Amino acid sequence: MKFSCNKQDLMEAINIVQKAVMTKATIPILEGIYIETNDSLKMVGNCYDMGIECSINADIQQKGSIVLNSRMFGDIVRRLPNSEVFIQVKPNFNVIIECDNSYFEIKGLSAEGYPMLPTVEEEQKISVSQTSLRNMIRKTIYAISNDENRKILTGSLIEANDGDLSMVALDGFRLAVAKVMIKEDTNFKAVIPGKNLTEIYKILEQSDKDVKITLSKNQALFELEQCRIISKLLEGEYMNYKNFLPEQFETNIVVDVSEIIESIERASLITNDDKRYPVKIVIEDNKMLITSNTDVGISKEELLININGNNMTIGFNPKYLLDSLKVADEEKVEIFFSSSVGPCIIKPIEGDSFVFMILPVRIK
Amino acid sequence: MNNIIMHVDANSAYLSWEAAYRLQKGATVDLRNIPSVVGGDEQSRHGIVLAKSIPAKKYDIKTGEALFTARKKCPNLVVAPVRYELYMMCHNAMINILRDFSPKVQVYSIDEAFLDYTGMQAVHGDPVSAAYKLKNRIKNELGFTVNVGISTNKLLAKMASELKKPDMVHTIFPEEIKQKMWPLPVKELFMVGRATAPKLYRLNIFTIGDLANADPELLKYRLKSWGKLIQDYANGIEDSPVSENARPPIKGIGNSTTIPFDVDSMDEARKVLLSLCEMVGMRLRQAGFSAKLISVYLRNSDLQGKSHQRKYEAATDDTYNIFNLSAQLMEELWTGEPLRGMGVQVSELVPNDILQVSMFDIPNEKRRLLDQSIDDIRMKHGPKSVVRSIFINSGLSPITGGVIEDFKMMSSRF
Repeated sequence: MKFSCNKQDLMEAINIVQKAVMTKATIPILEGIYIETNDSLKMVGNCYDMGIECSINADIQQKGSIVLNSRMFGDIVRRLPNSEVFIQVKPNFNVIIECDNSYFEIKGLSAEGYPMLPTVEEEQKISVSQTSLRNMIRKTIYAISNDENRKILTGSLIEANDGDLSMVALDGFRLAVAKVMIKEDTNFKAVIPGKNLTEIYKILEQSDKDVKITLSKNQALFELEQCRIISKLLEGEYMNYKNFLPEQFETNIVVDVSEIIESIERASLITNDDKRYPVKIVIEDNKMLITSNTDVGISKEELLININGNNMTIGFNPKYLLDSLKVADEEKVEIFFSSSVGPCIIKPIEGDSFVFMILPVRIK
Repeated sequence: MNNIIMHVDANSAYLSWEAAYRLQKGATVDLRNIPSVVGGDEQSRHGIVLAKSIPAKKYDIKTGEALFTARKKCPNLVVAPVRYELYMMCHNAMINILRDFSPKVQVYSIDEAFLDYTGMQAVHGDPVSAAYKLKNRIKNELGFTVNVGISTNKLLAKMASELKKPDMVHTIFPEEIKQKMWPLPVKELFMVGRATAPKLYRLNIFTIGDLANADPELLKYRLKSWGKLIQDYANGIEDSPVSENARPPIKGIGNSTTIPFDVDSMDEARKVLLSLCEMVGMRLRQAGFSAKLISVYLRNSDLQGKSHQRKYEAATDDTYNIFNLSAQLMEELWTGEPLRGMGVQVSELVPNDILQVSMFDIPNEKRRLLDQSIDDIRMKHGPKSVVRSIFINSGLSPITGGVIEDFKMMSSRF
């Protein structure tokens, strides 16, 4: 195998496929990146939970394949000068990496036995812009559960339904739903592990270019221009989250998002690191009072708002409110309260691009 | 202005709480006036002495000794069972009265608390008369006696409350240290215990005054930084604040039992577990907490133990939940070998008055009220006044446990 390519292109591809390579594996080949030259240069990282394949432009002189330790290869390429990189595999699997005045000869592994990405049968396919998918992930991923007792909740539900694509995450204390419209009239449901979505989020770009999502029985395939990402799905039935969303509300208010974020942030300055203290919200007379009372001291914030309905006193974990409000990407939002111990819902003033539900802290 | 700190210490807490409770229930004999101890179970005749009355002291009965040897010393000794829930109740009642005298109360252990009286003179008068008021209110309203120590810091306040007992108010203000504290044996000083005292004796230090006036270099050489700390204490130097609820004084609640026979069926094991959980749930609710971490301990007939724990995102104080979760842990842990000991422990406690509501564990209002009513009945009429029918004719105790565990122990600094 022999090829040369631009250092930047190579580095970018390594950064992407590395996201799917195990840092510690029982067999060395699983800590490697698979490199193949055929018509183009292809690189693969695979850890069973997730696999990524990336193609880049290269000047290919000789076809072949090799596996290189991911960390070593990445560290070397990262520090090479910005120039053309020449890579050549010797018959003993040693790999020569040359760039300007640098020369490396490192041990590679036979590509035989590297777990290649499975083929995903094209059953149901949809496409959505990279920006939209990125936003959906950002609006929901923080609400994923870490509770290994409820494995299914450590992933996000991705659901296509009559022209709507929604993503849902919940951890028992809050729930986040983000929605976009799609052209396809497909219906499907799958739960993608949260940590894979975090990596996919990093690979996606702010761009109108499409990402195609294909679903099979136990895998999801995300196809971008230069790479394919395969994620395992979490097994089991996701909760019927719609049941948790209340329909009747005692009070609703309209607030300025950046104002309320700043107020809650200030109020929670005096809560301890252990996040034990809630902030208390009192809604009355077109005012919203945000107070906190901890062993450090007290704080009080006042906001002018529009109120519809009854007065309300309710406590929240400030982190939960902030996590949701910070990804709202709206100037103003509407907040609905079902009762002082019941869920509250945050929605955009217009449209249904997201629904955030947060459960309160019972305060006495 | 100087700080005014009080230390309130219940006199032989467990015993006098039990005595007060019995008198309220119509008992004619005051346990405090007869040789009596708290500890273990009168019927099964095992356990150790956790607290003793002054008459029992005369028989040379010591805290920590086996009930068996205590009975040998005094055959007509009255043994009262350990009743955690009663102690929690008395503790809470005592702290509530303290809070009437100052908002700054630091719970130090189940029977001790510090109170920052600084600036409260305008409301309750001078510290000494306020302390008498406090002491007498506890005596009249709750039926047990306390010692109150008054000074300008926590150390001196605590030393003052340790002076003559019971039912007294003492002061050790800085100008009184020489006269009231220095003549005391050095082992009476806070933080000078069995390990430190002999080292001091070898340096010819026998009283607190000796320690206060010892050569600091010598102490530093022999005892390192510890020497500086206890010499400061001997001079009444200490300045930690009275920190209310710095952290919950309870870290966890555990309950375990040794079973007199081999448990080898799942059904029996579940029942033993249930009887343990009954007490854990009750104590948890009494203390006003919900728990996130549940752990189960099993010991086989070879006395080998193993445990299994799991953290749950939603905290609970519901007996039914605690039992179900711990039964699941037990089933995962138990490989069927005969069991002679079992235990349940809950920790990672969160106070019930600021409890995060969860989507899964929607508090079962009916069950909460049921738990509460059963707790009330058991408090009033004894733990076995209401039992689950599953225990009838099972030969197993419907509620197991009594010994206090995990209340925050004294630490080296306040």
